[in-house]
Amino acid sequence: MFYQPNIVALLLMLLALSLPSQAQTDRPALNIDATTYRVDVDGIVCEFCALGVAKKVRKLTFIDAARFKKGVKVDINNQQVFVAVRDNAQLDKAALFKAIESGGYKPLTITADDSQHGGNQP
Amino acid sequence: MNRVYALSIRLITLWLVTLSGASNTMAHQPVMDMAPRWNGGYGFQLRNQSDDNRDTTWLEGVYTFRPALRMTLKVPYIDSKENRGRHRYDSGFGNPIFAVPLKHYTNDGAFTSNWSLTPSVRIPVGNSDSEDNDWDLGLSASYSSESSRIYQLYDVYALDDKLGVDINWGPVFADNDGSSWFTLWDISALDSSDGQRILTGPVLVYFKGNTIVRAEYKFAALDNDDSWTGDSFNIGIGFVY
Repeated sequence: MFYQPNIVALLLMLLALSLPSQAQTDRPALNIDATTYRVDVDGIVCEFCALGVAKKVRKLTFIDAARFKKGVKVDINNQQVFVAVRDNAQLDKAALFKAIESGGYKPLTITADDSQHGGNQP
Repeated sequence: MNRVYALSIRLITLWLVTLSGASNTMAHQPVMDMAPRWNGGYGFQLRNQSDDNRDTTWLEGVYTFRPALRMTLKVPYIDSKENRGRHRYDSGFGNPIFAVPLKHYTNDGAFTSNWSLTPSVRIPVGNSDSEDNDWDLGLSASYSSESSRIYQLYDVYALDDKLGVDINWGPVFADNDGSSWFTLWDISALDSSDGQRILTGPVLVYFKGNTIVRAEYKFAALDNDDSWTGDSFNIGIGFVY
């Protein structure tokens, strides 16, 4: 047990070094289509996170799978999920939020962006 | 959520009452800790663990009922290995470990974290003579967090006369397009009646799509443990759905 004080000190040091970074202010603009919505999602910071949320959102019937990656793009640098909605369909906000929660994260706000119209996104 | 806490309290009580030991194979692995975090998610992982005493191949599976509740099963196959004339075992399946990770997640902007309590039971059905034939109960408590740049995990487990600590910490490099690298440093410390040991070394995790590859090498920074010699190497591949 003689090494326990050192382990505790190391643990505290690592915790202090790892507090949430506030250096997330550089938010590059993304080109999104007319029928694209942006959802701000708390805590979606990793590719694991993105995988689960995208899986759930892609199952929604109003998603346009021809755009983004099967209709969904997750920006983990800015904690945003972009969804493409089919032209003849209507976004169901409740279903979308439920899908994101089912993916393990909490959606905050949703914003429609109809300022652009165009083809597929990378 | 209240039901999860109630279940965890019951399991802690069970563990305290029985005061049983547990295996020290409780360290977290990517399929078991990082993913899947989504409702109804599942995955499996094949992992080879090699040290001076033995080679063990683990087949591990996980199912996520919801982010706060998972179940995992780890089945070891132990290969016979000669080590300076000692620790000679017959090859065969070791005792599988069933666990129920209970997690409480917190999301805060560009940061996500979770506290986890994991009761486990080791089931004595193996046919390798390297393990005993007792039922063992275990419990670990861990905290892990992640930003888009840093991942950290702290795991503490107590078992019978053993006290163990496992730490993973390091930067994450994500391409924001489905793949990421974790370059972590691992510190694993164990105190028991056999003595103390601290193993430490680098961990490399690569995630792309639904595939996770993890490799880690640990050397003995402190070895006063009569039951341990040498280094440890782990490599595994997992898939989540």
